[in-house]
Amino acid sequence: MGKVKIKRKSTLIDMTAMSDVTVLLLTFFMLTSTFLAKEPTVVMTPSSVSEEKVPMNNLVTILVSGKDKPGNAGNPDTEGKIFISFTGDKDSTLSSEHIREMMLLEAVKIYNEQHPSAKVTLNQKQITEFTKLNMFGLPFRGMPQYLDLEQSKRDEFQGNMEDPNVGIPIDGNKDRNGRLNDFQVWMKAVYNVAQKIHNDQKESVGGDPAEIKKLENLYTALMRKGEGIAVKADKNTPYSTVQIVFDNLQTMKLNKFSLLTALKSEDEPTN
Amino acid sequence: MAQIEQSDNGGKKKKGAQKKIAIHVDFTPMVDMNMLLITFFMLCTTMIKSQTLQLILPTNEEVKKENQNQAKKSEAVTLILDTEYNEQSGTPVVDENGKTKHLVYYYTGIADTTFSTPDFLKLEKFVGNQNNQPQGIRAILVKRNEAVMKEYLKLKERWQKEEITKEQFDSLAKVNASDSTKTRPVVVIKPGPNTTYEGLVNALDEMQINQISRYSIEYPTHTDTILLNEFKRRNPSK
Repeated sequence: MGKVKIKRKSTLIDMTAMSDVTVLLLTFFMLTSTFLAKEPTVVMTPSSVSEEKVPMNNLVTILVSGKDKPGNAGNPDTEGKIFISFTGDKDSTLSSEHIREMMLLEAVKIYNEQHPSAKVTLNQKQITEFTKLNMFGLPFRGMPQYLDLEQSKRDEFQGNMEDPNVGIPIDGNKDRNGRLNDFQVWMKAVYNVAQKIHNDQKESVGGDPAEIKKLENLYTALMRKGEGIAVKADKNTPYSTVQIVFDNLQTMKLNKFSLLTALKSEDEPTN
Repeated sequence: MAQIEQSDNGGKKKKGAQKKIAIHVDFTPMVDMNMLLITFFMLCTTMIKSQTLQLILPTNEEVKKENQNQAKKSEAVTLILDTEYNEQSGTPVVDENGKTKHLVYYYTGIADTTFSTPDFLKLEKFVGNQNNQPQGIRAILVKRNEAVMKEYLKLKERWQKEEITKEQFDSLAKVNASDSTKTRPVVVIKPGPNTTYEGLVNALDEMQINQISRYSIEYPTHTDTILLNEFKRRNPSK
């Protein structure tokens, strides 16, 4: 009897087609991706029927932290911490870095006028470090030490919501000309810087009213459209916590702002 | 596919011809690497872009009493927001779908300080639409804003038939919502102490859906609190 010879098949699988597909997918993801900006805490925004998109440029985001765990299990100290992030223009002259530097210098100037005995001074290196920060939340007095820390140490510090030194101090001050809290100092800086940018741009177009109307900058976003400031808070945060931010914005005459929400349909029941 | 085949001349080997080797490139590591990169980009991207809801607050400067606009009694609607709250766990009560239960108490006209009308304050919920019919608090607001909504629906129909563009629709709807010749309600939103942020956004949403152009957010007054407590005393089950 002759042996039946089983023909050995090659186990090689041709990967070329597979490679083609993966490269296509990769290209798609690379082109569509906008990187998630790192935030110190995660919040779930409430849903709304509003279809307006968040502007990518000229935006000041105010993040209000929620409780780390829902209800009494969560630490109440972690709720209502304020963080701010500045996003500039696509335009290189008013890039995020440049805007942040202007904001910081202006805010520190205002702060030092208000607290002559406890002035904050920053060196050039610290200022450069600040321009790289996406989101920050700490009182002015801690700023120099914070900016001297390494990146990882900074994230660690800011991620600890239980630390009383994390979060921009905010209180119920309602006097625009009185002693401002740190949050109000930042908001005043936002207003001043925005106005300065607007005035500079107005000059550069030569004061032509038609041209001025076309200008798109932080000031026009703040004043004309109310898109300059976006408040981001967790849906389960009590309104009274978020209201403190609203009240402070109102005090600083930044009455127009937007709330960050997720989309839902009109018909959807809410409860 | 990955190997480059070199043509044979009909099996006849020429003398001195070089030995032909099939060139085969293994793409497996390439695919592996691509997959890793895809995973990285997938995890790093946000596909859903958040939306924004515009909010305009009045100035907090003192307004002289005589300059204050008083809402007409017939036009005023007050919504007192509340979120069902579990006192023991300290968390908002959630239903089986994991959604928070928001309540809306409402009354029309000015608050009844004699507290004599038993059903002065009524309770509703945010229910959305059912079979294209507004339900819950929306049904009440639609009814109060009938004149504006009628025109709005006409505009919407024209837009859906593509007689007008989206931009035209938006601007016409805006004009329509603030048309002072029509009877429009003035809504006062008063978030109660337990209200979550979501509750407020829901209420603001209703304003947008029902084309209500005049609304404000205020603190609940003492009278409102009494009315609320009175309501809860009368209807302990709710």
